[in-house]
Amino acid sequence: MPAEKDEAKEPRARPRLIIFMASFLVSHSTLFSVVCCIAGLIALLLLPILAKSTYISENALMPGSANPVFSGQDVSEASRLVKDITETQKMGKTTGIEIQRLIIQRMADVGAEVYYHKFQSQSNQFHPFRFFSCDSNSAVTESNSNTSNGLNTVGIIRAPRGDGKEAIVLVTPYNSEYVKLNDALSLGLGFSIFSHLSRVSWLAKDILWLAADSRYGEYSSVSAWLKDYHNPVFFSSENVDANVTHDKDFLNMENKNMLNGRNVDVFKRAGTMAAAMVFKVGEAMERDPRDILTIYAEASNGQMPNLDLINVVHYLAVHRQGFRVNIGKLASLVNSAWLNLVGQILEWLGNLAKNLNPKWNFGISSADYAEGAATVASSMYHQALGVPTGSHGAFRDYQVDAITFSFSSRFYLNNENMQSSFILRGGRLIEGVIRSVNNLLEKFHQSFFLYMMTAPNKFVSVGVYMIGFALLALPLPVVAASLFLNHKATGFTGTEEAKIAFGSWQWLYAAKTVLMIDLWALIASLMPYFISQIPNISPTESTLLWVALSVSILAVLYVILGSPYSHSAQIGALLIVPMCLVVRPLKKHMQGALILRALSLVCNLVMVVIGFPPAALLLMKGFSEGFEGVGIGAVWEVAEFLWVWNSATYLYVFLVHLPCWVLCIHILLHP
Amino acid sequence: MVRPWILLLLLLLAISPPSHSSTVHNNNWAVLVCTSRFWFNYRHMANTLSLYRTVKRLGIPDERIILMLADDMACNARNSYPAQVFNNENHMLNLYGDNVEVDYRGYEVTVENFLRVLTGRHETAVPRSKRLLSDEGSHILVYMTGHGGDEFLKFQDNEELQSHDLADAVKQMKEKHRFKELLIMVDTCQAATLFSQLQSPGVLAIGSSKKGENSYSHHLDSDIGVSVVDRFTYYTLAFFEKLNMYSNASLSSLFNSYDSHLLMSTASYREDLYRRPLSEVPVTNFFGSVMKTFHTDFAYTGFSMEPEAHISLVSETDSRRTLGSENAQTEAANHNAKDNCPFHAWLKVLEDKLDNENAEKLVLYGLGSMVLLLAISTLLSV
Repeated sequence: MPAEKDEAKEPRARPRLIIFMASFLVSHSTLFSVVCCIAGLIALLLLPILAKSTYISENALMPGSANPVFSGQDVSEASRLVKDITETQKMGKTTGIEIQRLIIQRMADVGAEVYYHKFQSQSNQFHPFRFFSCDSNSAVTESNSNTSNGLNTVGIIRAPRGDGKEAIVLVTPYNSEYVKLNDALSLGLGFSIFSHLSRVSWLAKDILWLAADSRYGEYSSVSAWLKDYHNPVFFSSENVDANVTHDKDFLNMENKNMLNGRNVDVFKRAGTMAAAMVFKVGEAMERDPRDILTIYAEASNGQMPNLDLINVVHYLAVHRQGFRVNIGKLASLVNSAWLNLVGQILEWLGNLAKNLNPKWNFGISSADYAEGAATVASSMYHQALGVPTGSHGAFRDYQVDAITFSFSSRFYLNNENMQSSFILRGGRLIEGVIRSVNNLLEKFHQSFFLYMMTAPNKFVSVGVYMIGFALLALPLPVVAASLFLNHKATGFTGTEEAKIAFGSWQWLYAAKTVLMIDLWALIASLMPYFISQIPNISPTESTLLWVALSVSILAVLYVILGSPYSHSAQIGALLIVPMCLVVRPLKKHMQGALILRALSLVCNLVMVVIGFPPAALLLMKGFSEGFEGVGIGAVWEVAEFLWVWNSATYLYVFLVHLPCWVLCIHILLHP
Repeated sequence: MVRPWILLLLLLLAISPPSHSSTVHNNNWAVLVCTSRFWFNYRHMANTLSLYRTVKRLGIPDERIILMLADDMACNARNSYPAQVFNNENHMLNLYGDNVEVDYRGYEVTVENFLRVLTGRHETAVPRSKRLLSDEGSHILVYMTGHGGDEFLKFQDNEELQSHDLADAVKQMKEKHRFKELLIMVDTCQAATLFSQLQSPGVLAIGSSKKGENSYSHHLDSDIGVSVVDRFTYYTLAFFEKLNMYSNASLSSLFNSYDSHLLMSTASYREDLYRRPLSEVPVTNFFGSVMKTFHTDFAYTGFSMEPEAHISLVSETDSRRTLGSENAQTEAANHNAKDNCPFHAWLKVLEDKLDNENAEKLVLYGLGSMVLLLAISTLLSV
């Protein structure tokens, strides 16, 4: 290509460097894309090595600079509540809200403002036209057919000398149907911190404690409360009350809703939320020399809380309270053989570099590598999936930095002494985090929002991980350009006029194909809403129905709009950036050696199978769980899961990936 | 009657010869600036308040201290000791007691206001208490603390004072005879860079750290949850706590007391603009208000301290003569009286007269006439 150009432009000056480079790249597109893809993969594999240690970047936080004063007295406060809860539990239920009443009584006793928050937990309805919006006011008026009621209890401590403009939120989810010991303990922990904070003199932000009734899921109770917090209703409150209370005699009506002469049904607010912490006591873990704190941070659609918040919790937990901090990792990867092999290679390379120059110290041990890779893979998976890993996700929807941490003791918590020392350290940790956040003068803004963790104290920032992705994506436009030029060169070697005609108009056919397929994809992505309206339908049937409908619509569209012009689809595929670079029309691409041809054919077929989202999903499920239990219904379940959580992955799969795949098929079957 | 008198005196003052550069040190001023705000900079306010307390203790009165503070610590909601500020974790000394006069508070602490204070170029509405009313006999201490860098000092995370700004301001002060000697003391990172541009004579400067060095806090108060004092200031205070107003410790002993291991930075000073040897200058020259006293023969001599202001005295008598033409009595007194005050002169005349006559006789006659007057007045009233 450049040679041809040079011949054509011989009398003129040499082309500018950038044009020369571009044409060079385009002419060597195959080599270039192979190199880029390999480099991208290597960059992704190197992420655990490129990770930096975390550091606290906001000066105001000063974690651990004040000694926690959470004391044994507060612990006994917690144990008392735990005891009361278990006793109430034993007495059996009469009204269904004994626990809530107990908590609210205790909160009122320490002088807090308290209220009940009634909410309706509706199974999250997929609505295609309301995808990313949080439907605020319509929720109340929706039909009650599949709703159920929950009752959160909320307490507010006003900062004695604060301005009341900001608040820190503590959340303890518990199952109010049946309170297990660990739920009772987390309630006890929450309450002891709350009562402790009601006595301290250093609060600058109000404290909100939400004891979230999570019998219908942790997320829904918290998000319902947040929705009400951020959407004040000024006149229809009685309406809502009537709705709720007349359903069942859920709260035993008027006289019980007064506490110490104050109405506890009135929704009260504190200021803007500076940060939120969801904490719970988990089951006793496997034997470990230290108690374990597990941090969950991923919110919906890959949003993360500010890294500083995680850093503060990690710093205080490890350096002050002696916890071991865990973050999620894909356990199956840690022991995978090939990851360990890569780790060993990298370790060997690191040692080699160290021998060459002692200053080059980037090697990590293969075990660390595997651990880091598993963690980063989990980080990537959760961020890509777009489903929050806990009820902190609800906060992120309102731009509040929040994390969930769960304590798990190394001993069984029935032991009284162990229990109290465990609560003491947990309480001190939370007090420390609150004191640190309390020092903040602005919203969290100093540290990173786009990052992936490779260890509790190591992270990869967006600037680093984007290199790998950029390298992977770079070949696409280059190959597109080269295909376009090849097409021009081989397809229309005729007259100059024909070239111009093609250049100006014939791409329209390609665009039409692309538009048609995109339209189809849009229809296919909206279809589940209508399918889910059909009552009594099994996942498998839904899937089949979905596929059948989609295929038939595709066929209809093909007939109506189709009659794709020769070659045009090739360019069309390039317009929307195809998912794979190897696709060539089966019939056309038949010169060269037999082996190459066979290789190309096999590659194409494999790509086509893997690239089809349902197939990929089933394959993945099959590999991870065994092929016996995998049915087509799983596809429907996963899709449902994605749209229930408003995951952007759903949109990506149906509006980008699927059309690309169809276009690839189109190219493959091209005459 | 009064106005010409004042006018004449003003005239005399204008006539009196301009004083030469070696004016006697006659007052002390201090400008104490904390240039940061926000809770986590608690220590800077504690630094400034500690120094405020020290210079007050050593004798600089409140009206001669310009204190510039963000002042957002004592009543900060995060302060677990409301309305108190400490510079030590033992909490023995509340720096924010009953008697703290903050002249520039909160957002008033700006580079502009600081330079206006130094140069004295205020708007007319600025009260006297917020002005640096120094003169050519003043010794001024300028203490600054906050966050700085190479040749600059941050003011409240908002603006910067650069070293040449400071040098220009000092130069202007010198031109305007606003100081005799000036000590600039800076406790920030890379503090020595801040006074690298100074060029006015009579200026002495000391900073907590050299270029490229950080200044560190001394210790953390785990009750309050913040660092409460910086190292440089802490050891400065430790030096001064041993002293009182009458101590003779010299500046060189102060400057040599900084141990770079304890400071974790190198305190560096600049003395090339200062003429006197540091070992002969007592610290109270800047940090206190101890002055040389001159004995004068007269308890109160109007407008000039110096006995050699002779010309003015002579001309004063001249002026009095012109005044005297209006009043015969004072004119008579002026002839033989050396006293300045006409009333005193009149008394003296009376005394002289009394000495000459027979005083007893005069008294007797007087009493007699008073008895007579009394008798007549009672008769009339009955």
